[in-house]
Amino acid sequence: MRSFLLKRLPSGLVVLLAASFAVFLMLRLIPGDPATTLAGPDASPAAIAAIRARLGLDEPLAAQYLHWLGQVLTGDLGPSYAIGGQVSGLIGDGIAATAQLTLAALLLVVVLAVPVALLGASAGRRPWAGALRALTTGALAVPPFVTGVLLVGVFAVSLRLLPAGGYASLGDAPDLAVQYLALPALCLALPSAAILARYLQDGLERALAEDYVRTATALGVSRRRILWRHALPNALPSAVTVLGLQVGQLVAGAVVVERIFAWPGLGQLVEQGVQRRDYPVVQDLLLLVVAGYVTVQLLTDLAYSWLDPRVRAL
Amino acid sequence: MGAQIDFTPALLFAQSANVLVQRLVFNTLTRYDDQLRPQPELASSWEVAPDGLSVRLKLREDVTFHSGRRFTADDVVFAVKNLQNPVRSAQLRSTALTVTDFRRNGDFDLTLVLAHPVSNLFDLFEFMIIADPASVEDAVAGTRLIGTGPFTFTDRKPGSSLSFARNEKYWNPGRPYLDGVEIKVIPQAETLLSSLKTGQTHLSYAVRGKDVATLRSDRRFRITQYDTGSGAFYIGANLAYPEVQDRRVRQAIAWAIDRDRLVEQALGGYATVSAVPWPKSSPAYREQDAAHYRHDPAKARELLKEAGVGQLSLPLAHSAEAGSAAVAQVLQYDLKQVGIDVQLQPVDSPTMQKQLIAQSMPALWTLSHGFAQLHPATLAVSAYPFNEAKNTSRFSSPAYTDVVQRAWNRADSDSPAAKALYQQVTDVLLEEQFIIDLAIAGLVEVAGERARGATLNKFGYLNLDDAYLAG
Repeated sequence: MRSFLLKRLPSGLVVLLAASFAVFLMLRLIPGDPATTLAGPDASPAAIAAIRARLGLDEPLAAQYLHWLGQVLTGDLGPSYAIGGQVSGLIGDGIAATAQLTLAALLLVVVLAVPVALLGASAGRRPWAGALRALTTGALAVPPFVTGVLLVGVFAVSLRLLPAGGYASLGDAPDLAVQYLALPALCLALPSAAILARYLQDGLERALAEDYVRTATALGVSRRRILWRHALPNALPSAVTVLGLQVGQLVAGAVVVERIFAWPGLGQLVEQGVQRRDYPVVQDLLLLVVAGYVTVQLLTDLAYSWLDPRVRAL
Repeated sequence: MGAQIDFTPALLFAQSANVLVQRLVFNTLTRYDDQLRPQPELASSWEVAPDGLSVRLKLREDVTFHSGRRFTADDVVFAVKNLQNPVRSAQLRSTALTVTDFRRNGDFDLTLVLAHPVSNLFDLFEFMIIADPASVEDAVAGTRLIGTGPFTFTDRKPGSSLSFARNEKYWNPGRPYLDGVEIKVIPQAETLLSSLKTGQTHLSYAVRGKDVATLRSDRRFRITQYDTGSGAFYIGANLAYPEVQDRRVRQAIAWAIDRDRLVEQALGGYATVSAVPWPKSSPAYREQDAAHYRHDPAKARELLKEAGVGQLSLPLAHSAEAGSAAVAQVLQYDLKQVGIDVQLQPVDSPTMQKQLIAQSMPALWTLSHGFAQLHPATLAVSAYPFNEAKNTSRFSSPAYTDVVQRAWNRADSDSPAAKALYQQVTDVLLEEQFIIDLAIAGLVEVAGERARGATLNKFGYLNLDDAYLAG
């Protein structure tokens, strides 16, 4: 196993190095630079030159790149140019906020999808089965930026039940955090909940059409018991796979939802970083994403090698 | 309160889009009243020498920083030197640089010696926040803000919020009334509006013009327009392009624009039509100048014909934000009516700033500028689009330089002689039209039914000394 890891590790490091170079270069190719953004629209060229010197942007690109790599390798990511504070702190806070939102949305996906699927599967040909289908189609079709505005309009502006936007940490103020989380998590969860409900309902319907269900029905087992004790356990594995795939969708969708609800997660951080040309923040975040993918890939390879000894020989 | 843009710590000593923090945590030496007359703040009195080459300041003796240290003349010396540092990117750096020496006459008595008389010295005193020198580097990193202002900085969550607590040792007796202030960063315009409607936030200066229009009839809100001159919309012409080198072409553009329609349709009615940069409170303002260019497509066509221009095709850069796109579309339509075919070029903000400063704008662009709300010379020496020495339009003329320098290098700012010079600056601007002013939009305050007493200074610094929540 160790030798397999040693064989795979260099390729992962090469990918990371190549990605770091690509990220660094890509940012420099975007028009506009941090000094002009920081200096403001009425700044003089002298002010911009002074800011460029302070940030080290007047050094050759190679020196800037090596300086950044040094920071990454030592774990000291340094200060942000424009947003303020240390980059590691900003990324840490962003991860915590996005994780809070994504996990809450994931929970809501399950809470919403399972009852809808069970209701749909037990509806048979009743009229409200169609209504349920329409409901899931609607939740799937309407994009989050529309759902978000609608949710704010109804629950924040008209009913005044929940805040329109903002953030509180679950650790600091759990009661407030739940209120702030409710609408963005619901907005983020709805499309994924609709997908999961569809998959689960199909799975349940397939299970209910099996011979063992017919036998159980003939033996007088109640419909509810068949659904919960026999069909659901059989339909769940494929639904769990779908749920796993939806996690990626939730993280991606969080970027849009964070903006609508002023949620200070990673999406907002990337947007702010790009808009203000805050090179350290964007570089470190993108490299972190690549590192995440490389790690997952490495772990997957390791798992394969553990499960299948033939892979180790490759 | 709700803000659309997060605080940028590195711009603390420059005027930026977000200046809400400055007057909460810090004080300035003086502040202007509505007639641009300086009023005491940390400077209790002052005396400008008859030759205009020095100013003696008497400072308040009962002021302490949030750190507990006493405020003295040394802090003013540091504040001026801090603005002289180009890294701070302070727009009034040129005025700060005229201070060549400091004569300390005790802890609370300081004379600033000037290289030459300047007419906008009190603009500097209104602009320059007094920070604890030991905390300045932390302040521009956004970690620690130490001032003498009504609130102490307690917390910042980048991209989310800023929190402030009441300064119990504030020098202004009984103030502030509020126990604390929280600025919530809400980038989405619709969400910002919703947060006001739900009472989640009580005050905002970032509501878009068209959204303000929807709140006009809502009794739950009070809408106040400030004459901060923070957003004078204009079309800039880059004279490096032959198509706009003839001033008659630029004048034709000025005649072609229907400014009234622009204000109504793109700015929600919250702006004043004007062909000059000065707001009504400026000593340089004259109604006939503001109305110099009216909507007259026939005159525009005539001027184009005189200049030998038939059909003209020009790019027009504008900010990629929705509000700017609306302005650009109105301009595109009006110019089309006089035979100028305009291609809109949306550009993101950092790129636009770089092009502005690098003088690499396309032939036309539209944006807004500030600094006309102060003494008129400040605009021409501190706002880059108008800077007589070097500007985005690449416009230069000995006559402009001469009149700007004469208007700036004088101690008095309100005398008939000074006003005559301002008029000459206006005349050059109206004639040359390298910056074609369209409308002046001050900051618009949207306050919920409970919020009372908030004010802004001429730079848009939020003053909550007297603010409270009613009922």
